[in-house]
Amino acid sequence: MRIPDEQLALFEQRLHVLGLGRRDFLKAVGAMAAFGGLGFATRAEAAKPFKLAPGEKLAKEQVLRLGGGGPWQNDPSSHDFNKDLYCSGVTFQFAGLMTFNAEFVAEPYLATKVQSNKDGSVWTFTIRKDSRWSDNSPVSARDFEWSWKRQLDPESKAPYAAFLYDIKNGEAFNKKQVTNRDEVGVKAKDDWTLEVTLEGPRGYFPVLAAYLAALPAHRGAVEKHGDKWTEAGNIVTNGPFVLEQWEHNKQMVLRKNPYFFGAKDVHVEKAIIPIIPVQAGALPYENNELDLTWLQPGDLKKLQSDPRMQKDVFAYPYPGTWYLLPQVTKPPFDNLKVRRAVAHAIDRENVVKVSQGLTIPAWSMIPPGFPGAVDDPKIKAIQRYDKKAALEQLKGTPFEGGKNWPRIALSMRDEGLGSKPLAEAVQAVLLDSLNMKTELEVLEQRVFRERLWKQDLQFVWIRWFMDYPDPHNEYFDTFYGKKTTGKRQAWANEAFDKELEAGRDTRDPKMRLEHYKKAEEIMQTDVGYVPVAWVARFAAAKPWVKGIEKNKQGQNVIDGNIYVDMMRHIYIIEKG
Amino acid sequence: MLTYTIQRLLWLIPTILAMALVTFLVMHATPGSPLDPVAEGANPLSPEAQKNLAEAYGLDKPLWEQFGIFLGKSLRGDFGQSFVYKTRTVSEILVETFPISLFLGAMALAIAIAGGVTLGILAAVYQNRSWDYVCVSLATLGVSLPNFVLAVFLIVLFSFVIPLFPTGGWGSPRDWVLPAVTLALGPLGIIARFTRSSMVEVIRSDYIRTARAKGLAEQPVVLKHVLKNALIPVVTLLGPMFAAVGTGSFFVESIFRVPGMGRFFVQSMTGRDYPMIMAVVLIYGAFLALMNLLVDLAYGLIDPRIRY
Amino acid sequence: MALSTPASGTSLAAAGLAAAPSTQTSNLWRDAWRRLLRNKLAVVGGVTVILLCLVAIFADFIAPYSYTKANFGKIYEFPSREFPLGTDQLGRDVLSRMIYGARVSMLVGLGAQVIIVMIGVPIGLVAGYLGGRVDLLLTRFIDVMYAFPRLLFVILIMSMLGAGLMNIFIAIGLTGWVGIARQTRAQVLSIKEKEFVEGARALGAGFFRTVTKHVLPSALTPIVVSVTFGIPEAIFTEAALSFIGVGINPPTPSWGQMVGENQQYLRSYWHLCVFPSIAIAITMLSFTFFGDGVRDALDPKMK
Repeated sequence: MRIPDEQLALFEQRLHVLGLGRRDFLKAVGAMAAFGGLGFATRAEAAKPFKLAPGEKLAKEQVLRLGGGGPWQNDPSSHDFNKDLYCSGVTFQFAGLMTFNAEFVAEPYLATKVQSNKDGSVWTFTIRKDSRWSDNSPVSARDFEWSWKRQLDPESKAPYAAFLYDIKNGEAFNKKQVTNRDEVGVKAKDDWTLEVTLEGPRGYFPVLAAYLAALPAHRGAVEKHGDKWTEAGNIVTNGPFVLEQWEHNKQMVLRKNPYFFGAKDVHVEKAIIPIIPVQAGALPYENNELDLTWLQPGDLKKLQSDPRMQKDVFAYPYPGTWYLLPQVTKPPFDNLKVRRAVAHAIDRENVVKVSQGLTIPAWSMIPPGFPGAVDDPKIKAIQRYDKKAALEQLKGTPFEGGKNWPRIALSMRDEGLGSKPLAEAVQAVLLDSLNMKTELEVLEQRVFRERLWKQDLQFVWIRWFMDYPDPHNEYFDTFYGKKTTGKRQAWANEAFDKELEAGRDTRDPKMRLEHYKKAEEIMQTDVGYVPVAWVARFAAAKPWVKGIEKNKQGQNVIDGNIYVDMMRHIYIIEKG
Repeated sequence: MLTYTIQRLLWLIPTILAMALVTFLVMHATPGSPLDPVAEGANPLSPEAQKNLAEAYGLDKPLWEQFGIFLGKSLRGDFGQSFVYKTRTVSEILVETFPISLFLGAMALAIAIAGGVTLGILAAVYQNRSWDYVCVSLATLGVSLPNFVLAVFLIVLFSFVIPLFPTGGWGSPRDWVLPAVTLALGPLGIIARFTRSSMVEVIRSDYIRTARAKGLAEQPVVLKHVLKNALIPVVTLLGPMFAAVGTGSFFVESIFRVPGMGRFFVQSMTGRDYPMIMAVVLIYGAFLALMNLLVDLAYGLIDPRIRY
Repeated sequence: MALSTPASGTSLAAAGLAAAPSTQTSNLWRDAWRRLLRNKLAVVGGVTVILLCLVAIFADFIAPYSYTKANFGKIYEFPSREFPLGTDQLGRDVLSRMIYGARVSMLVGLGAQVIIVMIGVPIGLVAGYLGGRVDLLLTRFIDVMYAFPRLLFVILIMSMLGAGLMNIFIAIGLTGWVGIARQTRAQVLSIKEKEFVEGARALGAGFFRTVTKHVLPSALTPIVVSVTFGIPEAIFTEAALSFIGVGINPPTPSWGQMVGENQQYLRSYWHLCVFPSIAIAITMLSFTFFGDGVRDALDPKMK
């Protein structure tokens, strides 16, 4: 498929904004053919042999200090991902059945083989025999059966158990409708074979198995120490690292787990994570107290303009989308024409300027480079920026010519990373194109969420961060009309829902993509939402930190909202 | 004196009870529930999961019963499990963090007193002359900038421009300097101006004029008589000041990464961590009341006119 | 002068000249005014305060640009001829936003103080004047309110009420009246026993009249001083709220909001935070010098 020149030029602009140059652009164009690949690998990629670049020498002390800019800004509540997905613990202590590689494709990790029955309703994972816990006991299929049942157990009161509701009887067990845990569809047929029976065909299940919520817990430690099993000294992990020391609210120190199956390829011996509140900014990094840090907008500019640290900064994929929700149950947005006017009024190019590289204009839900990304000019045109078309739409409505607007409150959740300037820019373009005055209402997180789920908000500025790279997450989890709880908007559309259900139940990767593309088209035509910008994030690493994986577009990939196990590959060289 | 102390201590009890009640009511009246999941794209919990969680937190009982249970447990030092740090109890967390804030606060106060009193004395002695203006301006400067702005200035100055101190953390004594100084600047300014005005008042008073008229030399006059009397009202400042500074400033502790209890002031609010909110408010209140009592007692000891 | 010679004071009261207290007070004000003018720092402070108020009132005429006009092509610019103080994230002129910000910040300061005075002074007056059980109850109430950590309470109240300018006044006001209540009560207690009040009462002046005509004017000193210091303090609190994220919402500019939100840019786009910080500092300094001067001037023991 050849991409037309104007689009290539635009694409180059996008990459430039992200800090990538012409060479990266050319590499990316080559990779474009692979865009839209869906699914997961059934076999793990063979490990690349480790090679130092010429002139590099391994440092004697392989110690990595990381933190700041967001992750671990507060003391984690625990490291128990099995029970609490958002415990903000240290992810590289555990290994799941699958993991995400640098292309965000799920590939087998602890599993050596992944198979399914014909319609994808029963999945079988074959587990490697040489992986061990940090107490030298083997990691078996029974560990996974026990852990997943623990999450679904109503007694555990796991807040995010719904993640595993695709498993047969998982929801029923969690809601106490089924009391016998043996009826839950996950079974260890023997020590090394895990058979998972699902509620129906679920083509994406192995992708879920790569996500944090599917990580196991150590039965012995849990039964001995209860909730405190993740304290240093109690914790037993099966991943590359294990917690050695935890000074609450101050810092965590982790040591390489010698019993991890891939231990010989892991170079870093010790990881030090100080707890750094986000208000401290990148000061510790600048002062050489950290080797790797994530960046907030305020720090980004400072580092990019500092000649000593410019090269340390890189963009990494953090898939997320900013969009507007005109509430279809509240005037004036109950009128489709008004919604269409708003869609045409958003000057995305200018809006993203205020974020200085942290966002790029978006024309659909899934950002480029991810499974399900849409690159169709027809769809792009549906909500294109067009001031004249915007005003045209208002003809025949009470607001013709941009007059008589009622009070409109644009609500958003209070958070950082430049969300407010973006919202203000949206306000400015709406004023400019439609003479629509809006009041920006910044709500506290919980208040925002409560009102959002009650569909009490008139006009919402909101973002969605990808949980796992599959269109199911981007469309179904966010927009499915028949959801009973946690619906962000009142908008619902029969045809749209049907496409989503078809996408969920189809196994053929290409067919699935078609369904989701149709869904996007329907949603944009009916203006269920207005996509505005895609998120980019930045981080910085000192020159002696090496081994950060790159994806096909040549971008550095580090742990963001999708965990890629970066610690397995990082190594420290001598400071030249 | 003893009866007075006992009376005041007894009054502490209903005061704290009243504080607990008001906080409890306002807390529950604030929209946003602790049952909402904390994270980004997280869906709301199913009604069953919510019920489970509510049971675990004890939120399913009627309000008056919850309050009663809370009171009963807190008398035994058990403030409950933190809603945010789900595997730790509030007492555990505060026992670790409160002493650190206290220590930082004590250091800051020491700096503030030393600096503030000195500036105040200088300003008063050279009243309405250039030294006065210099001291007052210096003192007010510390109060006129929000401390989260001052913090960055100090870090830039003493971590980058003159690399003397680290940008934060709490390991060695070097880490203590910048946060203590930042925290001290505001109180320093207040103490300086208070000392100045108090000294000015005393200097002009009749008994000092008498002392001078008697022929006593200037310095002993200043040191012996003026200072002693002028410092009395300053002492009243210190109680509440220590309470404010000792419970940790959210801003200073965040920017300098000090593992104190100041950050819980804001965090417990946004996280609707009810047990933590109650504990933090009560500790602050009790501490403040205690400091006030100590100050009043000290006042009684210093000022011979006051008899309890 | 009349007050420092008790003999003449008592005889005047005894003579039952109702006019006596008022001439005493007007002498006091005139003397105070003269003293104030002699204090150079206070004068500078006072003039600055007046200038700030003028800027706040006439913002529409002084500001070179509208504070909402976004220029997407000129974002984050440093000070230049076109934009003397630079531009912000949306390309809006920082100078214009600061001029309008003066208005909002002054409003926050004054609004909060109005509420503080409206709550605190009556409570202090009633407690001090009536004494007895009422005093005991009110003092306990004051103590309880005093013991609450202020910032926490402001955040709690802001969460309940939501954002909005009025709500910020209310939140800051509701949590800040304790100091003034206490001082008013202390002043009332000390004045209550003074002779001229007794004299007025002896003449048959009722509760209300005594309070407003005789007690209040002398209790005014700490109130005036408190308000003068309270205004910049309210601006500070508003900056702290913005730093945490519960302050005033865009596009309304206020100095506190500009400082709180742009603290993260101190080391890159420093102009976004530094200029409003300077403005707040100048406001604080001028109110402080002015307030000090007022207090010194009103103090009868000073010559």
